[in-house]
Amino acid sequence: MLVIKRDGSEVAFNQQKIIDAICAAMNSTEKKEDMELAHKLADKVTRKITKLEKVDIEHIQDEVQSALMNSRRKDVAEAYIGYREVRNLKRRERSSLDKKVLGLLELTNEEVLKENSNKDGATIPTQRDLLAGIMAKDFAQTYMIPKRVVEAHNKGDLHFHDQDYSPYFPIYNCMLIDLKGMLENGFKLGNAQIETPKSITTATAITAQIIAQVASHIYGGNTINEIDIILAPYVLESFKKHYRRGLEWLYMLDVSEIEELDISWENAELHEKYPRCLEYAKKLTEKETFDAFQSLEYEINTLVSANGQTPFSTFGFGRGQSWAERQIQISILQNRIRGLGRDGKTAIFPKLIFAMEDGVNLRPGDPNYDIKQLALKCSTLRMYPDVISVPKVEEITGSFKFPMGCRSFLGVYVENGKELHDGRFNMGVVTANLPRIAIRAKGSEEQFYRLLDELLEVCKEGLLYRIERLKGVKAKVAPILYMEGAAGSRLQAEDTIDHLLENGRASISLGYIGIHETMMALYGKSLFEDEELRRKGLQIVQYLSAKTAQWKEETGYGFSLYSTPAESLCYRFCKLDEEKFGVIPGVTDKGYYTNSFHLDVNKKVTPFEKIEFEQPYPKYANGGFITYCEFDSLVNNPEALEAVWDYAYERVPYFGTNTPTDKCLECGYEGEFAATNNGFQCPNCGNRNPKTSSVIRRCCGYLSEPSQRPFNVGKQKEVLSRVKHM
Amino acid sequence: MYIVDYKKFDVINGKGLRHSLFTSGCTHHCKGCFNAATWNFEYGTLYTQELEDRIIADLNMPDVRIAGLSILGGEPFQNVEGLLSLTSRVRSECPGKDIWIWSGYTFEEIVSEPAKLELLSRCDVLIDGKFVLEQRNLKLKWRGSENQRVLDVKKSLREEKAVLLS
Repeated sequence: MLVIKRDGSEVAFNQQKIIDAICAAMNSTEKKEDMELAHKLADKVTRKITKLEKVDIEHIQDEVQSALMNSRRKDVAEAYIGYREVRNLKRRERSSLDKKVLGLLELTNEEVLKENSNKDGATIPTQRDLLAGIMAKDFAQTYMIPKRVVEAHNKGDLHFHDQDYSPYFPIYNCMLIDLKGMLENGFKLGNAQIETPKSITTATAITAQIIAQVASHIYGGNTINEIDIILAPYVLESFKKHYRRGLEWLYMLDVSEIEELDISWENAELHEKYPRCLEYAKKLTEKETFDAFQSLEYEINTLVSANGQTPFSTFGFGRGQSWAERQIQISILQNRIRGLGRDGKTAIFPKLIFAMEDGVNLRPGDPNYDIKQLALKCSTLRMYPDVISVPKVEEITGSFKFPMGCRSFLGVYVENGKELHDGRFNMGVVTANLPRIAIRAKGSEEQFYRLLDELLEVCKEGLLYRIERLKGVKAKVAPILYMEGAAGSRLQAEDTIDHLLENGRASISLGYIGIHETMMALYGKSLFEDEELRRKGLQIVQYLSAKTAQWKEETGYGFSLYSTPAESLCYRFCKLDEEKFGVIPGVTDKGYYTNSFHLDVNKKVTPFEKIEFEQPYPKYANGGFITYCEFDSLVNNPEALEAVWDYAYERVPYFGTNTPTDKCLECGYEGEFAATNNGFQCPNCGNRNPKTSSVIRRCCGYLSEPSQRPFNVGKQKEVLSRVKHM
Repeated sequence: MYIVDYKKFDVINGKGLRHSLFTSGCTHHCKGCFNAATWNFEYGTLYTQELEDRIIADLNMPDVRIAGLSILGGEPFQNVEGLLSLTSRVRSECPGKDIWIWSGYTFEEIVSEPAKLELLSRCDVLIDGKFVLEQRNLKLKWRGSENQRVLDVKKSLREEKAVLLS
């Protein structure tokens, strides 16, 4: 008798192999080996198959399994089945793993190479990161993530995000860096002990270093929350430094005399006595601040983190009203307006977010209204800043803070009687594929919610595993975060980080996608036109929100509902569903699913209608949200953008505009390049050379340069479908 | 009067957020015209009282800050009759809203004809002159070719010569 092996080759049957396999299974049980039984069962199997001329290996294993099941050792049967499954899984994974690695080597694996538009998959450091990602994901799926979750992820019921980093590494998603604490208390960076900076130039240089370090220890975005307020003291330090020099050279004071003076911005008496010195110090400090922020912007755009990419970095600012805080806001905006390099190209990072607030900068007459005007100009030219409505964020998330990275918002957390924001983070996301269960529900709402409950149980298991993976982790795995203060703590190397995860200090988020497609699949029409359907769409998000609240209650961890950006997920889910359920008009036929609660990108509405449509959602998805509108070029018309910002201010917490900010480096045209089959073209002079074109589009919360590095298929389809709201 | 289109929330034609009315019919026939179909005086739809009421209401919408009305063509100054009522209503019923108007005629040509002057006097900004393909430049603000001018109507009428909008 011959046995057909998996690779198709044939070998002679050998009963000893069956005995060995049974013994191996027995040895993994508590009752251990029973050699007599092993022989008996092997004989039984051999008798059953002995008449066959050729027998498949799988068939023999089935027989062994059934013999074990019918024996008194059910525990061995279980072990044998488990062992078989793992082997099968590993075998299957092994071959697909090799394919992926080969795809990376030959640069043919589009999925891995284009998953993140911020990574240049052609470069070696990025390839090392991608390779590590392929292995980490494979290992995590085989040995770490709960099986039910892995299966649901691979089938596309849900998406367990960022498996290339987590859970293989005990690493979290995005955060607000506690820059203030780090600068004020000093910290160690590599081999150097860093003390509190004595000038804005040093402060921004250190900030860049911190961002690079932090970005290498987390996989999501990092934000400097209120950078204008945090760095203002160092502007004042620079002021003092210049003032001293002024006294020395303009008024010929001795060093000893100068040392006795109380030099500060507030000391009006001194300024009256040395007016030229005040002017001199002011001018030089303003110039130094501008230069410092120019360097910071360059550094962030030229950095490559250990994750093989430019750090996903965000600066939030706008509320500071002092001279120093205003200088920082002005410097950030003026540098962005000026652009990078000789050609003044649009900087991709950091993302800028400007906080609007009545009495601060919203209306003519407010002390910072001039900075709002600068922010408007900057946004028409560079797409950033996006804007935050201070009162709406407070209303919706309970307190004011900027998002971590592009859109993840923290809730309220009080430590030592004070609301704490900086140093907090998000532990990760699992996103539910809502359109799929809507398709499976075949129009039955009841069935939809039943399936949703089932799916959410698996999502919860995945999220709990993310928390579990971070529990017990020692501070030494990421010194910058846990020992040097970025996460707001100064732990010892062997301390665990558990208390940083608990009581809602960190968030853990359920994501969702495609409310638009979900409604199409369930009711056959778009929710935009129908009041009843709008209510039902919102109801789903309310339901999800209530679930996360319930989980928070049960576990004590900061569960929240997050409107997933879905850079590549918009494509993955839709593709899997199209394969599974076929082309369904309005659901799987577009090649992408719509982001979270967003209105279909192809819907022709005014920005006011879009804002009004999306307005009710952030209240429930308060772990992450943003509203976008698409515009024609507003370079000549910041007044129009202001009317839209002001409308948004009253209605949505977080608002961004997509406006063409393309620039032709040949003729100087600024506006929108035409997207053609072979790249982008200047409408003024016809230039289509990528080297002399600056084409910027928004991809998720961040910007990208698709003329240099194309989007993935789904994102490109989504971008091409975007219609202007004005 | 026929109109090509009435576009709400226009950000391209004039300063601020505006509503734009495009009138049908034009005899200038500039080479390279971006919309030659609108030369026909019966192109599009008939201008109605309902639309006029809607425009007035849209200009005064409470939640959104609308800067004013833009009138483009075709050639608005070949539809003077049809625009008199609308422009006079904007003046009296929409305080704080301005009117921008585009024309293939030059300022000097418009003021030499009383009927055209009547319409112009109700407007705030005039973009004048034919579109000249050879002088086309997409980098210009509010206009298509170098010869065209963006004029401050009030000042120009006061000083009896074309004054550029500052």
